[in-house]
Amino acid sequence: MKNLVTLIDRCLVLLLTVLMAALVLAIVWQVLSRYLLHAPAAFTEELARFILIWVSLLGASYAFRARMHLGLNLIVEKLHANNKRRVELFALAAVAMFAFAVLVIGGGRLVLLTAQLQQVSAVLGLSMAWVYAVIPLSGALMLVYVLDFALALLSGAEPTPGIDQNQNDALDDSGASGPHTSRE
Amino acid sequence: MTLAMLLLLVLFVVLLLCNVPVSMCIALSTLAAMMVSIDAGPAMTTVAQRMAGGLDSFTLLAIPFFILSGQIMGRGGIARRLVNAAKVLIGMLPGGLAFVNVLSSMLFGSISGSAVATTSAIGSFMIPEMNKAGYSKAFNGAITSVASTTGLLVPPSNTLIVYAVASGGVSISALFIAGYLPGILLGLALMAVCCVFALRAGFPRGERVPLPEVLQKLVQAGPSLLMVVIVIGGIIYGVFTATEAGAIAVVYALVLSVVFYRELSISQLPSLLLRSAETTAVVMLLIAASTALGWLLAYENIPQIVSEAMLALSDNPWVLLLLMNLILLLVGAFLDLTPAVLIFTPIFLPVATALGMSPLHFGIMLIMNLSIGLCTPPVGTVLFVGCAVARTTIAQIVRPMLPMYVAMLLVLMITIYVPELSEWLPRQLGLYE
Repeated sequence: MKNLVTLIDRCLVLLLTVLMAALVLAIVWQVLSRYLLHAPAAFTEELARFILIWVSLLGASYAFRARMHLGLNLIVEKLHANNKRRVELFALAAVAMFAFAVLVIGGGRLVLLTAQLQQVSAVLGLSMAWVYAVIPLSGALMLVYVLDFALALLSGAEPTPGIDQNQNDALDDSGASGPHTSRE
Repeated sequence: MTLAMLLLLVLFVVLLLCNVPVSMCIALSTLAAMMVSIDAGPAMTTVAQRMAGGLDSFTLLAIPFFILSGQIMGRGGIARRLVNAAKVLIGMLPGGLAFVNVLSSMLFGSISGSAVATTSAIGSFMIPEMNKAGYSKAFNGAITSVASTTGLLVPPSNTLIVYAVASGGVSISALFIAGYLPGILLGLALMAVCCVFALRAGFPRGERVPLPEVLQKLVQAGPSLLMVVIVIGGIIYGVFTATEAGAIAVVYALVLSVVFYRELSISQLPSLLLRSAETTAVVMLLIAASTALGWLLAYENIPQIVSEAMLALSDNPWVLLLLMNLILLLVGAFLDLTPAVLIFTPIFLPVATALGMSPLHFGIMLIMNLSIGLCTPPVGTVLFVGCAVARTTIAQIVRPMLPMYVAMLLVLMITIYVPELSEWLPRQLGLYE
């Protein structure tokens, strides 16, 4: 289990970093090609839109793992240890429900539907099923993370440690620290 | 209809109280409410499909770019130079450091486009210094949180971009320009509060700085300020779209921090990219879930029902505007900014236009109203960050917040009832008629 979680962490970190860089490069190329080459690139806009969908969903799984999603922790923090654990387990069950029903089943059905209808994107001619495939994928990854957190909660052990070394100096820089602190 | 809406509300509140991530609360309660009238399988597909549809937007691509450029500016010394420039300009006034905090938040917020990013970036520079100078921790937390909301109105702002998408066609360049005067007015109102606070509490004045040093700090901050000119100028004159401007901002901030200021090395880049991807995903999942909820509300005819009910209640536009704003203030306290904009724009915009309000004016009003909610418990993202950076608690921060809330409400009232504040500048620049 720990090995699996660490493996997924590594893949997601790599993938998110590369996709984010690709996003910037695509749009910079779009501007450059329009003004310097006077031949605007047609594919960049569509490519960037699809990358954004991938970053958002894969990032959503990773952000859940890094406990970065916004939540309301005021009430849970006031509970006694036993009740707190019960509520935390319930919350994990809700996340699992979201990952399973909406992302895996709903997203999976969407992928099958677009594959059947043979929907392709306008410029790149890419099958939309590939674009949407990230939905059930990130749902499955999120389920693994939920399981890791739930096992840790039940056994009283710590969940698998993350691989991002900079997780704790969040206050010195912008953005990321906000949602993080609100859930702690 | 009523059963579905009841289920939606109850499930949302229960999940929220249990600390389930807000985006998932929205998606799950939407799914449950949808299953009242649609079969389980198609309902799940619809939610997934609407979520994916909500993410698939070229305009929204600006959001990851402004987040990333904000990260680079925080790490690469750009934020610090903006703070230094503000300090030599207005640091010597009574409550000067608080003024510097507000001005820096406006400047930085105007480049990073996110209130949370501003709170943590400016707060981490300003709060230690304000503590050292003898300002109270509670006051520091309060002003850092509140000041960051000015950046939501002063462009470029991710929230204005979300509104442009939600309203279906209000021009981003007009919105960006429309935000300037209300945002600056809000900043000035907050500075006035700081001034009274500082005089009463006897906070020290900053030292007067000799002219050569003033010039030196301003020159150092020049390239950082030039970024605003390039981004906003480029959008207004149609050189590039808001999304492209975001990508340009990333490249500009990167070149400035790595090559000129030499405070960022390329080896730090992957961690900044990852951090931005995480923050982007948090925002985008909220957008995706809210889009699904918006679809359900439209399917259940909620916007028409609300609009008819409100217009039947009174035909006095002033009363209806007041009512709308009271509802929004309540919503803002419980719902985060992005979902609130996406969910309530389709519901209230038709009412506002029926009252003769322009979509431009409505957008500025909506965002100013909801940004007050960002600073109020129970769901006040910016407030939590402000408390964390200032190392204080919500309970302590509330007292110094009260006069700041009054200032915000006052500026909100002016924004509501003086359309010219939002419309005059875009009209002068020919972006809006």
